[in-house]
Amino acid sequence: MSWISTIIFLPVVFLVIILLLPSRFREWYRYITLGTAILQAGIACIIYLRFDQAGSDGFQFLEKVPWIHLSLGNLGRLEIDYFLGVDGLSAPLLILSAVVMVAAAISSWEIKENMKGYFALFLLMDAAIMGVFCALDFFLFYVFYELMLLPLYFLIGMWGGPRREYAALKFFLYTLFGSVFMLLVIVGLYFSVTDPVSGAYTFNMLHMMDAANFVPGAVFSPEVVQTILGVPARLLGFAVIFIAFAIKVPVVPLHTWLPDAHVEAPTPISIILAGLLLKIGGYGILRICFGIFPDSALYFSWFIGMLGVISILYGALNALAMKDLKKLIAYSSVSHMGFVLLGFASFTTEGTSGALLQMVSHGILSTMLFFLVGVLYNRVHDRFIPNFRGLASHMPHYTAFVMVAFFASLGLPGFSAFIAEAFTLIGTFNSQSVNGLLPRWMAIAGSLGILLSAAYFLWTLQRMFFGTTRFRGGEAWSKQLIDLRPHEWAVLLPMALLTLMLGIFPSLFFDLSNSALANMVQELFETGKRHLDSLQYTNNLRF
Amino acid sequence: MLTQSLFYFLSFLAIFSALAVIIAKNPVHSVLYLILTFFAITGHYILLNAQFLAIVNMIVYAGAIMVLFLFVLMLLNLNAETEPQKPAYIKIAGVVSGGLLLLVLVGALKTVDVSGAGGTTATDMGLVENLGMVLFNEFLLPFELASVLLLTAMVGAVLIGRREA
Amino acid sequence: MTSLIIVSVLAVAVLYLGLFKYKTALLPVSVTGLLAAAAMAAMDWDLEKMYFSEMMLFDNYAVAFSILLILTTLLIFGLSRNYFEKISNNVAEYYALMLFALAGGVVMVSFHNLAMLFIGIEILSISLYVLAGIRRKDPASNEASLKYFLMGAFATGFLLFGTALIYGATGSFNLAAIASSGAFESALFRAGVLLMMVGLSFKVSVAPFHTWTPDVYEGSPGLIAMFMATVVKTAGFAAFLRLFLMAFAEASAFWAITVAILCILTLFAGNITAVFQDRFKRLLAWSSVSHAGYLLLAILAVGFSASSAVLVYTIAYSLASVAAFGIMILVSRARGNDHLDSFNGLARTNPFLAFTLTLAVCSLAGIPLTAGFFGKFYVFKVALAQGYTWLVVLAVINAMIGIYYYFKVIIAMYMKENANAVAIQLNPGFRLVLSIVVFLIFLFGIFPGLIANIL
Repeated sequence: MSWISTIIFLPVVFLVIILLLPSRFREWYRYITLGTAILQAGIACIIYLRFDQAGSDGFQFLEKVPWIHLSLGNLGRLEIDYFLGVDGLSAPLLILSAVVMVAAAISSWEIKENMKGYFALFLLMDAAIMGVFCALDFFLFYVFYELMLLPLYFLIGMWGGPRREYAALKFFLYTLFGSVFMLLVIVGLYFSVTDPVSGAYTFNMLHMMDAANFVPGAVFSPEVVQTILGVPARLLGFAVIFIAFAIKVPVVPLHTWLPDAHVEAPTPISIILAGLLLKIGGYGILRICFGIFPDSALYFSWFIGMLGVISILYGALNALAMKDLKKLIAYSSVSHMGFVLLGFASFTTEGTSGALLQMVSHGILSTMLFFLVGVLYNRVHDRFIPNFRGLASHMPHYTAFVMVAFFASLGLPGFSAFIAEAFTLIGTFNSQSVNGLLPRWMAIAGSLGILLSAAYFLWTLQRMFFGTTRFRGGEAWSKQLIDLRPHEWAVLLPMALLTLMLGIFPSLFFDLSNSALANMVQELFETGKRHLDSLQYTNNLRF
Repeated sequence: MLTQSLFYFLSFLAIFSALAVIIAKNPVHSVLYLILTFFAITGHYILLNAQFLAIVNMIVYAGAIMVLFLFVLMLLNLNAETEPQKPAYIKIAGVVSGGLLLLVLVGALKTVDVSGAGGTTATDMGLVENLGMVLFNEFLLPFELASVLLLTAMVGAVLIGRREA
Repeated sequence: MTSLIIVSVLAVAVLYLGLFKYKTALLPVSVTGLLAAAAMAAMDWDLEKMYFSEMMLFDNYAVAFSILLILTTLLIFGLSRNYFEKISNNVAEYYALMLFALAGGVVMVSFHNLAMLFIGIEILSISLYVLAGIRRKDPASNEASLKYFLMGAFATGFLLFGTALIYGATGSFNLAAIASSGAFESALFRAGVLLMMVGLSFKVSVAPFHTWTPDVYEGSPGLIAMFMATVVKTAGFAAFLRLFLMAFAEASAFWAITVAILCILTLFAGNITAVFQDRFKRLLAWSSVSHAGYLLLAILAVGFSASSAVLVYTIAYSLASVAAFGIMILVSRARGNDHLDSFNGLARTNPFLAFTLTLAVCSLAGIPLTAGFFGKFYVFKVALAQGYTWLVVLAVINAMIGIYYYFKVIIAMYMKENANAVAIQLNPGFRLVLSIVVFLIFLFGIFPGLIANIL
């Protein structure tokens, strides 16, 4: 069994152990979970070290085992493989997942009731998230993608806040709405793509990304325009998958599940939601939407960029108006993920690299931010900004980490988000001259978003942390609001160091992904352009 | 010539009394009209040279089942007043769907080639001997399985009818 | 054929056991007999034998569905210990009736002649009319029985009329002869196909002929409702598909559009009404209507591995239904009713039951790694391959609606509290059957090739 399968199935093994342990060992559950996460992080380190950075445009650590093989009579054969691998795009996200999982496992210390169920579901979700980033068979990807939803639904719905049922169901139905239609596109793609060697229809994503494998005249064939219900098939297929992932990212106006889910979810789940789930949306858009439908991606690029800009600005403006600290951070996530979309839409190497780094950096920063909110909430069960004042003198260490997280998030040079956002904006700015896809004003609007994020972060800092100490709960609160505990240090310090490290030595990240992204963007643009020219859609979406 | 006039007379009788079954207000009258319908159909069987069917139809339907019907009706003491009133929209829906079904059937039957293609043309098919040959050769399995069906029905009837101890 | 004989004789033997008051022997004898019947059916694999002047054809289709019916009945019998005793003194007769119904089901999946189809359906139906009315003192049960009987008799009328017209058009009851008669253009034949379709739609509760379903399911005892949802539905669809596959396949251009419309009506009628149900049994009844819609989707794809798709779907549906109805029986027995609120706090008192029910409804809803997901996936796939994109899109919307109402019971079990709930006691039969079902739902969910490669 290779490293990737190990990282995916390690949690499943420990999940079984937890289920078998009788509940008088319930104190062990959290240590088992933490141990699993640390082991996974160790494997992630091995993958990082063994990853061939020069050849990162190819897939490495490949594994392929036949899974479901059936004969469909006159429809040919159905072949689904257990097919895994990572490249320069998925490796950083896989490593990020392992790191965030450790933080989430530590912050799960706050969970006190029904621990067996909680940690079992947590590990199941852990396995599914790792699987999503590594799956190279579209069917397998879908299975992992859906598998991740169900534990999350229970984790929010059973251990969440007062309106948890509503939030959990909303989250679940939103995501499912996207993904069931994605399933139809998957089947459509299956009937359009054949394995170049065996000639059988295939779910293999690598084959789907190569235009040469499409059956001439099939539904999603890039040569001739086919229509489904009157709409060009490739555009429709792209749009359906894009919407599925855009709900995950989330892109305004499909974001309304996010604030609800975050407000109700317990801290570790918020961390995973913001730190990893949103990244799956971004990853899916780049790997699947852009990878399989480059022509449609080009066709819609203006539109995607526009959605990115709207998300950046709308998220930031909403964050400015929030009184609930957790909601503020949730909306700041919407805003920051907008940059990812903008970077992808630019079809430049700088923009795409920046967007990918933004995902990694936001993964680390949102972990910190949600963890910090959790620290406050666990102590006094309140997180309304007006209820706190002058926390700086009361909890100096806590405030220090809040300042690091806030400044890093608003894009202060020296931190990872600065590099990420700068690259994204450079890419967007260059797009007009390099490939003419995105107008320059989008870059300017994006930088306006950075300005707004500075405004809401600094304003929050001023309202909550500076000034004379005064709490809504009076003396009782001052007693409860003690400074950071050791296990909280254990999460926050490494995260702060990580964001600083990526800010100072971005090559740690770029070396991993650069050659992959440079090739990929180039290739996507060229094939996309070629097909777009040959398809000749009648009306153009560029305004 | 006589056969033909007999056919038309029996057909008229069958359709008229069938209509009367559903039009009659009094349930007892309905049942009596139904008996008349069965008699008319028995006549048709005789015209088709199917004596066995004719006798069975007479004994089983007109005889046994109808008497049972009458008994039940008289025990329940139904009359015109107790008949439930259906809302108008159900009546309209019933007329529309029934009319559509009639349309399909009339359309289907109109196109039938009456020269006898398809079905059997043998005129002595309905005689007991021939029926027995078919029933105990080709249709032996359905015939035997019908015993399972009857046994099931019998067990069920006893089960529902018996007084619980 | 041997399995049919064994099942019929077994039913009579069980009646005799009842006569001589060997109540304890009922279950062991039935289970042994059913296992023998399943084994004998398996012996017929790949033989393609015709019986009694082509009345029955035991091809692999018939064998696979017969075994499925027999094994599902076996699972239901596993739950039946101490069940009928609470309702009535005549326990043996109920086992016998269920076995007779099973015999009818076996005939329905193996017929090669319209006369056999009719007899099979009647044996199955008549047993069920009685079984639905087991609780003679309960007006709801009486209503269910009567309603089912009247509707069923009506459906039989349609079926017979259709059979007669088809005989008139083709001159034969034999499926192969009908298929090769070349009478597909004649109006008589078409009217016959439509009438048979109506008759069969009644039996498998396809909208707009489904209106009896919720009342009958609700009025019947839980175990009988389970039998209707699993064995009867499987047999009905297997017969439906067998008829349309073996006799009417050539005329598919004519009936496909009708089936497509029935499919949409069924999906929307079943799913939308299910959303508004607050009793679990009624919810399951409406969901069984909606599943008939998904199965129709497979029938549309006649010839394109439709039989395999129907087999996979019915296996998944039967497994999940056994678990869902079984737990419904336990909960309504312990808490007095089957209202969704009765499921509150089940996760705390009975984690195993809550988990099993969650798995069952996830399978019904089609969540990946359960058997139901692959069933839906397979059905959608064969329909898409036939070009029914618009139909599949509508079906997917319905799957979404389905998830919404199936999750209501999960929400009740896991996220709502019931302070005075006590743990429900399980007898070993329940524990065994539910464990088997959980195992199989996972097994077929992770390795669907095991069942999808059968046909």
